[in-house]
Amino acid sequence: MISYHPDSRFLTDFASANLPMAQAMCVSAHLEFCGKCRAHVHQLKEIGGHLLSQIPPVAVEAGSFEQLMSKIASPQPLPTAPSAQAHNALTSIAPKSGKETYLPRSVRRLSNGSLQNLGWAQFGKALRIAPLPIAGETLETSIYDIKAGGQMPEHEHRGEEITVLLKGSFSDADGTYSRGDFVVRNAGEAHQPTATQDTDCICLVCLERPVRPRGWFYRLLEPYIQYRLHSLKRNGATH
Amino acid sequence: MGTKDETNGFKQGLPKGAALTADPWEEALHKVAESADRAAFQLLFEHFAPQIKAFLMKGMSSYADRSQAEEMTQEVMIKVWNKAASFNAAKASVNTWIFTIARNTRIDFIRRNTRAERKIEIEDIWHEADSPEPIVDFQQRRVEVEIRNAMSTLPAEQALVLEKAFMESKSHNEIAEELDLPLGTVKSRIRLALNKLQILIDR
Ligand SMILES: [Zn+2]
Repeated sequence: MISYHPDSRFLTDFASANLPMAQAMCVSAHLEFCGKCRAHVHQLKEIGGHLLSQIPPVAVEAGSFEQLMSKIASPQPLPTAPSAQAHNALTSIAPKSGKETYLPRSVRRLSNGSLQNLGWAQFGKALRIAPLPIAGETLETSIYDIKAGGQMPEHEHRGEEITVLLKGSFSDADGTYSRGDFVVRNAGEAHQPTATQDTDCICLVCLERPVRPRGWFYRLLEPYIQYRLHSLKRNGATH
Repeated sequence: MGTKDETNGFKQGLPKGAALTADPWEEALHKVAESADRAAFQLLFEHFAPQIKAFLMKGMSSYADRSQAEEMTQEVMIKVWNKAASFNAAKASVNTWIFTIARNTRIDFIRRNTRAERKIEIEDIWHEADSPEPIVDFQQRRVEVEIRNAMSTLPAEQALVLEKAFMESKSHNEIAEELDLPLGTVKSRIRLALNKLQILIDR
């Protein structure tokens, strides 16, 4: 049961395609789990369709249609024409039940179909992180895999953090989150997520970084290195 | 504008049993899909290409010049030609379907012109097939008509933020910056507008 959804800002900026790719990827992942938000995005697109029909038109150049038809007559591949695969194999929607890991279409694409293909970095016994190659200017996106019952060290965000649960569930002081949930934490909020006991928890995480230190992989790991050392000092294994 | 007459022309050609609110451009799109009908496509082009060009010029002002907008318009129309068979009238109006293609073409263009990664396709994220299956077709189209009717009743300041979001392709943050308003004000204006349109998010 999904209880946490993107708000009107995320859904509107998504439907109008004004979200950074990494955040849009998180909204898109949620949509594959959530029919309610899919319906909302669909309605929002209707606003776009309506406004397009009302826009003051700008005349195309003379001969534009003939030029277009000659392009169609001798087709050239569009620079980023989606493959047939993008339309067929990759359009499935998340199954309603089942504990198997469901990978959203974007994650399947970036991981070549399997999380095993990603480069994982292990942090303590409970947590491993694989960065996804979709980093924007100030956003970093990765997959977190938290072992059943594992606890992440408490951490504070310097920017907005979006988490979409792909498998399992976790809880923190504010609530319990399950598959499909879209959880936003703002800058300055601290939390310590704990995966539930019965199954590993896999999340898509997009982290906003207000500053831009050198080396994107290092930037990604930096806050975890800090708390990893902390937690190792404090209690050795985290679970 | 002459486009209105063409619209009516298509209405007369609608199949029996079509609802009064039926989309006049569906017929043209079906002809393109079924028989690569050049005349039907030309009518679509004459109606939609100037709208698409206007949309692209508004939304890509910092990325593109006029000639690029022309080229991108052709790119959108090529997709309309190629994808006509995938248009599903039960899911969306032709306006909305074309808006989606133009929107995706715009962000693809921006991505091509920045140093963005190429491992992922725009359509892996902004699916064109993201229709909600739990809503039956009739309801879907009824909602669409309601949205259209309600749009004209929005207060100017709410209509303005929707215009900036959807036509000028600005995020909440960019709208707040441009209008020199707090982000919360932009967010609440959009929420109020969406509530009036019966798009009930955040509850
Ligand atoms: Zn949702």
